[in-house]
Amino acid sequence: MTALRALVRKELASLFGAPTAYLALSMVALVTALIFFDHLRLYNQILFVYDSATMGGFASDTVPDYVNLWDSVFFPVMETLGLTLIGVVPLVTMRVFAEERARGTDELLFTTRLTPGQIVLAKFAAAYLFVTLMMAVSFLYPATAIEQGGLGLEHLAAVFLGLTLHGIGLASIGLLCSAFTSSQLVAAVSAWAVAFLLWDLSWASGFVGDRIAALLEALSIQPRYSSFAGGVVSLANVIYFAGIALVSLAAARFSFDLRRVSG
Amino acid sequence: MTGAAARTEPGGAVQHGRGVAVEAHGLTRRFGPQVALDALTLRIAPGESFALLGANGAGKTTFIRLVTGYLLPSAGSVTVDGVSPALRPSEVHARLGFVMETSRLYPELRVRGFLRFMGGARGLGGAALTRAVDAALARFHLEPVAPRLIGNLSKGFQQRVSLAQAFLTDPPLVIVDEPTGGLDPVQRGEVQALLSSLRGEHTLLLCTHDLDEARMLATRVGVLNAGRLVAEGEASEVLGREDALALFGTVAVPAR
Repeated sequence: MTALRALVRKELASLFGAPTAYLALSMVALVTALIFFDHLRLYNQILFVYDSATMGGFASDTVPDYVNLWDSVFFPVMETLGLTLIGVVPLVTMRVFAEERARGTDELLFTTRLTPGQIVLAKFAAAYLFVTLMMAVSFLYPATAIEQGGLGLEHLAAVFLGLTLHGIGLASIGLLCSAFTSSQLVAAVSAWAVAFLLWDLSWASGFVGDRIAALLEALSIQPRYSSFAGGVVSLANVIYFAGIALVSLAAARFSFDLRRVSG
Repeated sequence: MTGAAARTEPGGAVQHGRGVAVEAHGLTRRFGPQVALDALTLRIAPGESFALLGANGAGKTTFIRLVTGYLLPSAGSVTVDGVSPALRPSEVHARLGFVMETSRLYPELRVRGFLRFMGGARGLGGAALTRAVDAALARFHLEPVAPRLIGNLSKGFQQRVSLAQAFLTDPPLVIVDEPTGGLDPVQRGEVQALLSSLRGEHTLLLCTHDLDEARMLATRVGVLNAGRLVAEGEASEVLGREDALALFGTVAVPAR
């Protein structure tokens, strides 16, 4: 445990010692703020139009059902946030293994008391901690929308859980891609490709049979992420994201064995 | 096991009186069709300072990687203190310190922070870790630069940091790969003097292509040429030969 803790601490120090981490946190905070206020502005504009049309005396029942804080602000913000994270998280994870390999420090790390499994575990844990912090930063505005919409703490918790699991899933994909290359660029680009592909596989449903279409739907991130955004915590969705994390962890561990054989 | 009595210290580091033996039998490593190390048979006695010489691509680094367990052999075997790094790498890692080239450190970490990390990763914690780090800083004259970022240090100081981390747990086997590569003559002299002062306390496996360095630091040497051990013996005997340089042969194409 001493060795594991030492590596987690070092990973966090390395993460926060590089400008990428601050850039990623700032980017997420800025993009979320822009998206949130843009949708809020549009929502207010629509309300203003109804207000003007009824000479300033409209009641809530004169506004169509589809014009509400929920559909006009919260859902679009969450959707764009999910996509933004696909762009940002691989920028944070790309260096985790690839940089070690590129500068040869992976060999130094290998000669310590840390087993390959512990190295992978510590690096994943540090990345997950960072992603959770990133989610907390990005959650501020959706939380405001939920609070203003009067949806309650349970819904708030479900959305934060979904957001964090989505971030952990993306971090796992990013770490896996980083474990098989010494190029940070290759790690980031391959993580983007895999994550965007997994985000919504339903576009391919029209080209395949029903059973494969159902499988593609089951493998897509977007419907599961949206389910959390809707306030639903489903065990299947939690298992899905945990599955991505476990498969990535096992594959990253395997990359060490592969390197011992292939060099 | 060798004749050296082994005991386990707090933190799990295995301590020995005067180092441990490294033995290779028919050790072979191939990368595809290329043979990087060809049936190497070698014994480094406990407490001995052994230099493995050879041109770039001769197979020195491959041998080190097989000893640390970073690579698996294609054929043959290697053991450290009777333990196979291929099968039980963690047990071998408890017995060794590893000094890499200067560029292979963490430039974003501060010297003390890096040593604390490496000590922790080698199983030291609490007061034992603080004591080991302070001792290493003093032993390698690093106190003045302890709060500085590694990336901002000269190559000579970076190599001292690399040496300091390898000796944190006072391991019985120290592997040093090209310790003075890229250093200026003054820095090279400092690092060689430090390594020279450590002789006899540990088994030292030094990989270099510098004949003078091998003469200064090693009691025995082996010469690798295209993956084959072409000479082995007392340093003065092998390096005193008229054809010593010719043993290096044609510079091989690096396997990796």
